[in-house]
Amino acid sequence: MNVTITFRNRRNRRNPFIPIEAEMITPDAFFNNKEICVGEGNRTVHLNELADVGIEGTASSVDEIEILIRGDASLVKRVGEYMTGGTITIEGSIGMHCGNFMSGGRIEILGSADGWLGREMQGGEILCHGDCGDYCASGYRGGRRGMRGGSVEVIGSVGDFACEHIAGGDVLIHGNTGDFACAEMKGGTVTILGDTSRVCANMSNGTCYVYGCAAEMIPTFEKRGTINHEGLLFHHFRGDVANRGNGDLYTARFTYLQ
Amino acid sequence: MAEILLKNAYVIDPISGINGELMDIALSGSRIVEEASPKAEVIDCHGFLTLPGGIDSHTHYSGTKVNFGRYMSPEDMRAGRTARRGPMHITSGYSVPTTYGNSYRYSALGYTTLVEGAMAPLEARHTHEEFKFTPLQDSFANTLFDGNWGMLRALEDNDIKHAAAIIAWTLSAVKGFAIKLTNPGGTEAWGFGKNVSCINQTIPTFDLTPADIIKGAIRANELLHLPHSVHLHCNNLGTPGNFTCTLGTFGHVPDLNDKRQSLYATHVQFHSYGGSGWGDFCSKSEPVAKMVNLRPQIVIDMGQVMFGRTTTMTADGPMEFNLYRLHHDKWSNHDIELETGSGIIPVNYRKKNLVNSIMWAIGLELALLVENPWQCMLTTDNPNGAPFVKYPEIIALLMSKRYRDAEFATIHQDTEKRVPLPAIDRELDWHEIAVMTRAGQAKALGIIDIGKGYLSPGAEGDIAIYPLRIDDIDPSADYEKVIKGFSQTEYTIKRGRVVSRRGDAIIDGENTTFWVKPKVPAAYDMQHDTAFQELFERYYSVRMSNYPVQEEYLHRNHCIETETDL
Repeated sequence: MNVTITFRNRRNRRNPFIPIEAEMITPDAFFNNKEICVGEGNRTVHLNELADVGIEGTASSVDEIEILIRGDASLVKRVGEYMTGGTITIEGSIGMHCGNFMSGGRIEILGSADGWLGREMQGGEILCHGDCGDYCASGYRGGRRGMRGGSVEVIGSVGDFACEHIAGGDVLIHGNTGDFACAEMKGGTVTILGDTSRVCANMSNGTCYVYGCAAEMIPTFEKRGTINHEGLLFHHFRGDVANRGNGDLYTARFTYLQ
Repeated sequence: MAEILLKNAYVIDPISGINGELMDIALSGSRIVEEASPKAEVIDCHGFLTLPGGIDSHTHYSGTKVNFGRYMSPEDMRAGRTARRGPMHITSGYSVPTTYGNSYRYSALGYTTLVEGAMAPLEARHTHEEFKFTPLQDSFANTLFDGNWGMLRALEDNDIKHAAAIIAWTLSAVKGFAIKLTNPGGTEAWGFGKNVSCINQTIPTFDLTPADIIKGAIRANELLHLPHSVHLHCNNLGTPGNFTCTLGTFGHVPDLNDKRQSLYATHVQFHSYGGSGWGDFCSKSEPVAKMVNLRPQIVIDMGQVMFGRTTTMTADGPMEFNLYRLHHDKWSNHDIELETGSGIIPVNYRKKNLVNSIMWAIGLELALLVENPWQCMLTTDNPNGAPFVKYPEIIALLMSKRYRDAEFATIHQDTEKRVPLPAIDRELDWHEIAVMTRAGQAKALGIIDIGKGYLSPGAEGDIAIYPLRIDDIDPSADYEKVIKGFSQTEYTIKRGRVVSRRGDAIIDGENTTFWVKPKVPAAYDMQHDTAFQELFERYYSVRMSNYPVQEEYLHRNHCIETETDL
């Protein structure tokens, strides 16, 4: 089954700046033939009021459903929340909380994603070709475990607090990260090909590779010498000692706060 | 005036001596009356169990401490969300819900009166603000005095009357209800990074021991003739082997009041631990319960622990620090000037954990081993042991040996060697449950005189009707039905109006805050005491004139004036 959702120009909406809560845009909802309703401010409206929805073919399982999102979806939140299978492709940019709690399937974003991409996800795959906002693959406010499984790849750069509380899964960031990447890390593997800052604060477990420069390294990491990883020389740190942690941080270059 | 006639109510009302009678109850205005006029709205109770409105004599549901629990646990707010519906506001939170969440959920369980377990006098304003938004329950505030410098100085000089005068001034200034001591001396020592380890150890800042503070406060309390007794959270909460400290404390309590107890010891489960460390941690509920059985001047509450996620919050700052070192999770710590402190951490009680399993057993043992139900109240020290929504499960555990055994089979396997619970066969009956959840609490709090806890004419119209026909239910076998029945009332009536119907609040409600004002002779009026004014000028961050909570600041309120012996 191919589902095409084309969001109309939001300038024609009553208030173009109100985000849309679209937790029902998942392959699962289409597979179960549910009526797709979304939240616009304090109203609940049918998706048809905001977008043109085209459905072709049938599906015998969730995995056979492909959703294509077109048009301006940069304020559409929670797309793919709790999805268990199938594919969502977003041609432009997507709003916050894309792929919350997802446990299977694949989301591909050709543009950029806003904050909380793949928060607390348990499985599946997310590929973002553009940049990503803050809290990519992290846990939510007050939560103790962020992403638990699956994989996230971001071709661009990400904002602050990327992979906060991450407890499992793989994250690959091609660009740079903001402050406090991998804060409170508890497991999983994060690879940052660009630069980062104050990385792995308070980590207790897991592995993080930084191919660029880790600026303002947290001082409570124990230096363990150098290793050779994929033909490159990395400094190996263990910590966070302040948290009695056993995490491994490998970084090509690093600077401490002057 | 609105009138209601409840027909075919199966009433258990221990204070009036009614144990299971099918009768009619008439309500006029906010009170229960002899007879209703023909205009009265008739509610047919179909023989359902009808009890006085529930009273929780120790719960943390309002105030800065609770609110800070909300601040620091946004993840808790993600649980238990309900949308706006009819007159019901939106609610969220599980262990520290929003004020409306507390109010609606308590109301669904049939509770109409709540006692905030610990209000720091300096933070009283906030507590009263939250009371206003807990509309379906009347509120009382136990006021913390464990580290009150004025009172401690007076006790140091062995001047009980002066201490009583300070208590009287503070209670009426902050609109509090009773004296609460939390880890007396220990919380004060925590302001200097220390704690006390037994009741006979002198605290660092005053020439006093916790025992002196407790004995002094009990005598001051009786001088003021306060409705409730001293409400004590003993020293050494949660440390292995602390039962000796608890027994020592109980040994110091004189019998000074013939209407009620002289000491209310709260969440005694946390104070009945044996062993010398976590390795040989075990239950000492038997000696503690035996002590309570021998001393009618003591009333305790269970402080039952139930498994699951919750938030612990207490004025006992040093204890929370120890907990923080165990759990290594988030922690909040507060110092409240000359008065007290507080600490908060979230916890998760797990069945797989031996210590947690033993704690679970101890609470039940206390309730079962204390022979007189009027001496042991049913609480979880909400939310420290568990959120109050677990009360129906606790009732079922107390009523059914079979349920206890079934639960016991699921907890840590080594628990059996450390606790006497499996050997206890007692099953409480409906009357005893009614005592432990309302009548006993009304008596212990001394609020029978203002119409709480019974259903005779003259009483407040606070009634809970549960969908239980108790003649058809064998609680020891049908414990599921007991849980279901107590989880949601058919009707909860508050001040003569139906406020909750099958779990949904149906009106916005309006509650009353009760506070005490001891009538103190002019010689003991602290308002004009120069030494007391100096204490404020020198140490407090607020002026004495800005300290009291004005009566106008409270919503609807009722002042209980007491005669004093000063």
